[in-house]
Amino acid sequence: MQKTMPWISTAARLALAAVWLVAGGLKVGDLAASARAVNAYDLMSYDTAKVVGAVQPFLEIALGLLLLIGLATRLTAGISAVLLVVFIAGIISAWARGLQIDCGCFSSGGELAAGKNAAYWLDILRDIGFLALAGILLWKPRTRFSVDGLLMGEER
Amino acid sequence: MSKGKRDRTAQARAVVAKQQAAERRRKVTLWTSVGVVMVLFLAGLVGYTVMSRQDDGKVTTPTAAVDDGTAFAIGTGSVVVDVYEDFMCPACGNFEQASGESLQNMAEANKITLRIHPVAILDKYSNGTEYSTRAAGAAAAAAEEDKFLELHNVLYDNRPEENSDGLSNEKIIELAKSVGLTSETFVNAVNEGTYKTWATDVTEKFSDRGYNSTPTILVDGTKLIGPNDTVPTSELLTQTIEKAAG
Repeated sequence: MQKTMPWISTAARLALAAVWLVAGGLKVGDLAASARAVNAYDLMSYDTAKVVGAVQPFLEIALGLLLLIGLATRLTAGISAVLLVVFIAGIISAWARGLQIDCGCFSSGGELAAGKNAAYWLDILRDIGFLALAGILLWKPRTRFSVDGLLMGEER
Repeated sequence: MSKGKRDRTAQARAVVAKQQAAERRRKVTLWTSVGVVMVLFLAGLVGYTVMSRQDDGKVTTPTAAVDDGTAFAIGTGSVVVDVYEDFMCPACGNFEQASGESLQNMAEANKITLRIHPVAILDKYSNGTEYSTRAAGAAAAAAEEDKFLELHNVLYDNRPEENSDGLSNEKIIELAKSVGLTSETFVNAVNEGTYKTWATDVTEKFSDRGYNSTPTILVDGTKLIGPNDTVPTSELLTQTIEKAAG
């Protein structure tokens, strides 16, 4: 266990990094669409949604890069977990209100074509999976090939 | 030095080394955390700045546009029917096929005022050519020549599939020509994208009004939705309009 745990954490760290990089990367090219995706949740005014929609992809990419290099892993994992909980709450609220929207998780989502049904439980399940990755890192933040390890002068 | 004393010295060293390592970890954790917070703050700031810059474009609103510059009106009937649509959206194409003609007939008979709002929410589905924005811009240019409906209809008759390049500017101009829209002003407006910022502006107002999908249809200001969140059928639309007309 002593030996394998850092490897499990390393895998979790890289996987979570990939999640953020892909999620942010898919949105960053079209911030207007990202704003519309946020607006579709109908939780805030469009002006606020615009700011959230513009800031979010950059935050996601930054988090992805920080996890990729492994800097302050426990903190970045914690922030990831908070974000994921917010996203899950948003999806549940959209579901509860019977909104028919694309969660905008890995796209600039927003509107769903008529007749297409939102599969909210799938989105939630997936986010819970990501949350588990963050959980592993919160619990055991020591990983291989990380800047943290280098700075701490840790045993290889 | 006795053996016991040596052991104690080694133990003391080990304790000091352990404390130093702990101190180092504490410092590293503190400073990396500060660094991470700053990086995230900067990333957010970049997003905010990019967004603010995008808002700065100058908007040329076509003079023919009504309803806060977002729509082109046909007819002068008392019942107002608003249609928000994207020129690439398949559901809008189906809606136009089912109800477009009857709506336009009612508008021309001045039974209704038909206000068509061209929005561009599907730019990401035209391989980077931003067909939705270009098409909406071209429609605005056509409106300036009093040929909005003509271009609107011919663009829907030739609606490109999602994830294609959309219609090129040349193709749009060619189609316009086929419906009698030949002016040089129009051709230049399409080629130069004169009304593209306007199309973005209309799309923003569409979102600001709380709409997310196309086609969005309103009869006298009330959103009309078919059963199970479907696009209203032609029958439902006609019934609703007749009810509104009283």
